Amino acid sequence: MDPLKPSYDSLLRPTRRHFLGTSALGLGALAMRGIMGDAQAATLPKGTHFPAKAKRVIYLFQAGGPSQFETLDPKPLLREKNTQPLPDSVRQGQRLTGMSGYQATLPLAGSFVDFKKYGQSGVEYSDLLSHTGEVADDLCVIRTMHTEAINHDPAITFFCSGNQVAGRPSMGAWASYGLGSMNENLPAFIVLVSQDATKDQPLYSRLWGSGFLPSEHQGVQFKAGKEPVLYLTNPEGVSPHARRGMLDALGKLNADQRAAELDPEVDARLAQAEMAYRMQTSVPEVADLSKESPATLAMYGDSVKTPGSFAANCLQARRLIEKGVRFVQLFHQGWDQHGGLPGGIKRQCKQTDQASAALIKDLKQRGLLEDTLVIWGGEFGRTAYSQGKITKDNYGRDHHPRCFSLWMAGGGVKGGHVHGQTDEFGYNIVKDPVHVHDLHATMQHLLGVDHERQTFKFQGRYYRLTDVAGNVVKAVIA
Amino acid sequence: MLLAACCLSAAACAEEPAVSFNRDVRPILSDRCYGCHGPDANKGRKAGLRLDELAGATKKLKSGDVAIVPGDVKKSAMVERLFSDDPEAIMPPPELHRPLSAAEKDILVRWIKQGAVYEPHWAFVSPKAAPTPTVDDRAWPTDPLDAFILKRAEQAGLKPSAPAERATLLRRASFALTGLPPSVAEVDAFIADRSPDAYEKRVDALLSSPRFGEHLAVGWLDLSRYADTWGYTGDKPMFAWPWRDWVLKAFNDNKPYDQFLTEQLAGDLLPDATQDQRVATAYNRLHRMTFEGGSIAEEFRQDGINDRVMTAGYGFMGLTMECSRCHDHKYDPISQRDYFSLAAMFGDQNENGLLSYHGEVPPPFVRLYKDEAERKKEAALRAAVSAAEMALSAVRSEYVGKPEVKVPVPVAHLPLESFTKSGVENTVAGGKPAVFERRGSPEDLQLAPGVKGQAVKFDGDAGFKLPDFKQLGRFDPFTFSAHLRLGEKNARATVLHSTGFYTGDGDATGVELLVVQGRLRWSMIHLWPNSAASIETTDELPVGAWRRVTVTYDGSSKAAGLRIYLDGREAKTTVLRDTLHAKPRDNALEIGSRSRDAGFRNGSLDEIQLWRQSLTAAEVAVLHGLDVQTLPPSVLSEHAKLRLDQAYAAAWQKFQDAQRALAAHQESAPAFFAMEHSDLAPKSYVLTRGEYDKPDLTKPCEPGVPTRVFPWNETLPKNRLGLARWLTDPQHPLTSRVVINRLWAQVFGAGLVATSENLGLQGDLPTHPELLDTLAVDFVRSGWNTKAMLRRFVLSSTFRQSSTPTAEAREKDPANKFLARGPVLRLTAEMVRDQALLASGKLVEKVGGESVQESANRRSLYTYRKRTAPPDNMLIFDAGSREVCQPKRLNTNTPLQALVLLNNPGFVEAAKNLALRVRQEAPTVEAQISQAFRHVCVRAPRPAELSALTALYAQQKETPPQLAAVTPSPQVDPKAKKKAVEPAPALPKMPADPALAALTLVCSTILASDAAVTSR
Repeated sequence: MDPLKPSYDSLLRPTRRHFLGTSALGLGALAMRGIMGDAQAATLPKGTHFPAKAKRVIYLFQAGGPSQFETLDPKPLLREKNTQPLPDSVRQGQRLTGMSGYQATLPLAGSFVDFKKYGQSGVEYSDLLSHTGEVADDLCVIRTMHTEAINHDPAITFFCSGNQVAGRPSMGAWASYGLGSMNENLPAFIVLVSQDATKDQPLYSRLWGSGFLPSEHQGVQFKAGKEPVLYLTNPEGVSPHARRGMLDALGKLNADQRAAELDPEVDARLAQAEMAYRMQTSVPEVADLSKESPATLAMYGDSVKTPGSFAANCLQARRLIEKGVRFVQLFHQGWDQHGGLPGGIKRQCKQTDQASAALIKDLKQRGLLEDTLVIWGGEFGRTAYSQGKITKDNYGRDHHPRCFSLWMAGGGVKGGHVHGQTDEFGYNIVKDPVHVHDLHATMQHLLGVDHERQTFKFQGRYYRLTDVAGNVVKAVIA
Repeated sequence: MLLAACCLSAAACAEEPAVSFNRDVRPILSDRCYGCHGPDANKGRKAGLRLDELAGATKKLKSGDVAIVPGDVKKSAMVERLFSDDPEAIMPPPELHRPLSAAEKDILVRWIKQGAVYEPHWAFVSPKAAPTPTVDDRAWPTDPLDAFILKRAEQAGLKPSAPAERATLLRRASFALTGLPPSVAEVDAFIADRSPDAYEKRVDALLSSPRFGEHLAVGWLDLSRYADTWGYTGDKPMFAWPWRDWVLKAFNDNKPYDQFLTEQLAGDLLPDATQDQRVATAYNRLHRMTFEGGSIAEEFRQDGINDRVMTAGYGFMGLTMECSRCHDHKYDPISQRDYFSLAAMFGDQNENGLLSYHGEVPPPFVRLYKDEAERKKEAALRAAVSAAEMALSAVRSEYVGKPEVKVPVPVAHLPLESFTKSGVENTVAGGKPAVFERRGSPEDLQLAPGVKGQAVKFDGDAGFKLPDFKQLGRFDPFTFSAHLRLGEKNARATVLHSTGFYTGDGDATGVELLVVQGRLRWSMIHLWPNSAASIETTDELPVGAWRRVTVTYDGSSKAAGLRIYLDGREAKTTVLRDTLHAKPRDNALEIGSRSRDAGFRNGSLDEIQLWRQSLTAAEVAVLHGLDVQTLPPSVLSEHAKLRLDQAYAAAWQKFQDAQRALAAHQESAPAFFAMEHSDLAPKSYVLTRGEYDKPDLTKPCEPGVPTRVFPWNETLPKNRLGLARWLTDPQHPLTSRVVINRLWAQVFGAGLVATSENLGLQGDLPTHPELLDTLAVDFVRSGWNTKAMLRRFVLSSTFRQSSTPTAEAREKDPANKFLARGPVLRLTAEMVRDQALLASGKLVEKVGGESVQESANRRSLYTYRKRTAPPDNMLIFDAGSREVCQPKRLNTNTPLQALVLLNNPGFVEAAKNLALRVRQEAPTVEAQISQAFRHVCVRAPRPAELSALTALYAQQKETPPQLAAVTPSPQVDPKAKKKAVEPAPALPKMPADPALAALTLVCSTILASDAAVTSR
């Protein structure tokens, strides 16, 4: 290698310098940068490795670790054996957290809520998810998710970026980097955090960060209210007309600078300012839910009228992907029921069940579900046994990374399908485990991306969302 | 480099261009082959073949093939595999997704043909100074470095550019050395100064400005993951800014880099370490720490050590050490054992992997005294304690005979005969009952026959608490006595504690009586394990038998003040810890259980009694019913001394007073986390796959270094100080190169090695290897003098060139690798904001101190850094979160940056203040605009720029700002507040005066222009 020939890393600079100026959001630059899966790929067009089934993703992240036992994975045996100790043969000496690890006994806890079969497919959902049950035939439930971390911070970081270590790009940043946006007036990756959730465990901006990818791939957080995107609104007293005048003057300054300095990067900078100007119109437009029909609003439930609620964010997500945003991630906190689980999970499901189902129905009626992948789930599951004392109507569950459930819909996923099987205690996986890396590989596969080939060289190593692992779960693909 | 090739036959050289292993071959082998055929011995080396060294590559393989036969392409099995059509046979395999190009295959074939000569990786060979090259344009170089640059540029057919305009040059130098632009007055003076050393004088002024350290520190803070919070869930404040100020001062004082490195890695191990040298070691402790409930301490202790190794790897060696945590490095000569040998150096502390729930400074720590007098006072108080201790032990009791021994009345007595609904009866007059804890109902605890009537049997999860029994401090004597029976040989069980909320040992504080592997452990703890006094019985307690256990603490803060008695006689114990440094938290006493810990499962207690004094051995004996007459004389004389001897009582009082005075003085100074070597540190082992819970006990690791990077000198101590000495050995191949490369990147935009974070095999090769090596050697010879090196860079002809390329130069060298023109840099997040503040006249220049909010108008390096929510406008301009070491920032253009520049309240405020300022400074609008432009961009605006801005002013003035009438903010229902949507921050507001508003928008436009955000 000639030292004067650029490395893959250093290619970023001249590439951006040459091409960013020709595009609005800088997505053209992505087009040129592409997926650097092989030696020459740095200059190949971006995009997919094979035809994509999903063009976009809405990830309904349920932060805190929802209990599978009261939602998606019925275990009648736990009811039979309620309060009996977890057999050692089931636990197999696996590690527990310091929360319940020293507990003298680990009493099994049966679900307080019943399950029913829904739809043609007859997949079981708990009574807390009756709305979700209505779209059962569109959903694929994975009951055998498993992960590596046992505490929130490492686990949610692992789920959102494929690594427990801070500083890796998030799922949405990879999608933005690899595929770009389909709308030049909006960012490719947008994040919505529920304002009506119980904030028991905090969220961190690293969960939607760009890590070592260029910062244009960071998730942009949309907030409810007057200023959906940070610093979007002009200072008070600066009209759009005045701002236009400023940009025109800025254009002249930069044109003169370009002529004097012969530097195309000057154009790139101006293009970004113009894009910002267009965002000032396009963002409030897409954030305005008031034009939605009463029927649509009713479908999402009453709380859709509360700005920033999970329901409002679901509707917002639909509006964003309609406009071509590639990856929308919702975060809904409050699922960390170490104690008081029955009350807590009732509240969580009430906040999320109807709107999640409405999102599926809404996407479907607009013909968007077939190429939009929707995923609902958290960073780990919960234990079959109670943390703390179990009483007739109260118990809690500790963190459980060895198996948990989530559902996927649309975007080329099998509807009315259950993948994987856990044992009767819901403690271990019996059949078809799906690691977080596998889920990521599958998600990328549905987006038309080979997870082994979408890489980014950083600090001398080729990094990818799935690190050195991950297998596409073919069985969940329609 | 080009000539550094190989010794080939003349024929071969004549036929085809010579191949260089380092330049041409290794990058290919490393990138495509070493993953499976490289140095990693313990994981996945395929077919037993290694291609990173000649012996391995030419070895006969199991298959009978030989991969490489030097000089013989036909016999080299590798060649056939390179050109195979069979997807099963072709190398590299298709699943690598990085096939070889025809040109790359050709290089490998020619290399084998030319003799397959291996060379060591350039960065692992000590740098040697090269002679200064002769160049065509002899007049151009001002520094030898210019000759190296010019030589390479000439080879590429490029001519150096003309010198930059003076205003532009001064702005460039000013940003490079201080991170801020020069003032208009400074520029004018510089332009007017025609003396030959005008520029040199300005550069020297910049180097001696306190702004220098503030600027240089930023890159080091990124590398050292400095922040103001601990990160992770909860993200509590981390008291670390004194370390940041140490860095600042080190740069401003031009501390030699070898000392800079040594004090941070091992300041505590230096002879007679000063307070500052110990503060420097906080470098190692800036990694994140969690207090999330239920976290496992050892997991996070290992993660912290890993972070230290990784950070030092990037910062000092430019190597990716963390790869070797799980397996031998795939590319660089660092084995997994090397990694854990380094980990042994960085894990040499008696520390806890978790932060306490209450966020106390995690020990080990030093006290930060504000001056020498305070420090001396501590020494004096220590001496007073020692003297008082001596005096105490010198007291000779004169008592002979048999003293009367009477057991004092306890302050609490729980006979445990029955439960009430809410708790346990306390029979001491006026004593409050104990209340149930954890599970809150009596049915979780059983009454069973005990020594005297009933006793309580615990289930491990429930217990009871004495809410009023608090204030068991380090100076407060205390006694606990009860009949105790083990129902099993508990691995760990809490009998008694005053810890309160608890996660692992991270929160252990106060008194604590545990059963550990059947032994009794009795402790007075500030924070376990570093700051505690603790003893443990040598013998195990029998299971199933009743023993009367009495534990006493005399309030001395020492392990010697802790005693354990069994059936009235003192038990044999060993000291586990005798380093209690500060006071415990104050919590109520709890018996039989503890949240998130193992309670006294299957254990029983009867007749619990508590005293707020330390019973003597004789009293304990009498309490158990032993006859005073049978007690040994030593026990009785001790009793007499403690209870009856006035002289002893006075000496004891003096000793306690001296201790309290010392503690009060210590606690008046903040505790600051630092490194402190301890022989009690856990041993280091290779962790299988790097997993904290899989130490390979057959592979203990002594402290050590990766010796294949640079050999270890056996005369060095095997600790962090030895590591620092090893790194600063003048022959060390990496240390000096890494610094030079980083300084170069800071001044010239990109390093001589573009991958400044990785000088290993997967990193880029240097563009100017001889220059890098010569500078590295010069640097060491100069006494590791950072300022002198930067001075050379900035005074060089290379730096002083105009940055504007000719069309031809742009075509030939778009990225400016040859430096035949001056550097162009997008300002960093810090520079962009600091420049706006400075131009507005509102920058508050105060060096150091506590971190602040942006509204304080201090330089951005002082902005409070919350790791889980870093300042938005900094992230948008490519700064990182400081959660982990960041060796390099990317440099992007995004629309969000434009939004920050035009709408962020700080930038709008700066524009407004700049407008106000220039209205004062210049008479006409045009002059005001011109002046504003110069405050930001330093040079005067060109005519086209000035006319665009004046036209903007005229246009904006005609349409004055539309401001909403001031309305009182709506009443907020305080009850509804919690549920309400977070209110959007108030928008910045334009001035109502149309002229000022128009000028503000002009200033805002200037701040967002390319001329503002770029150093050219």
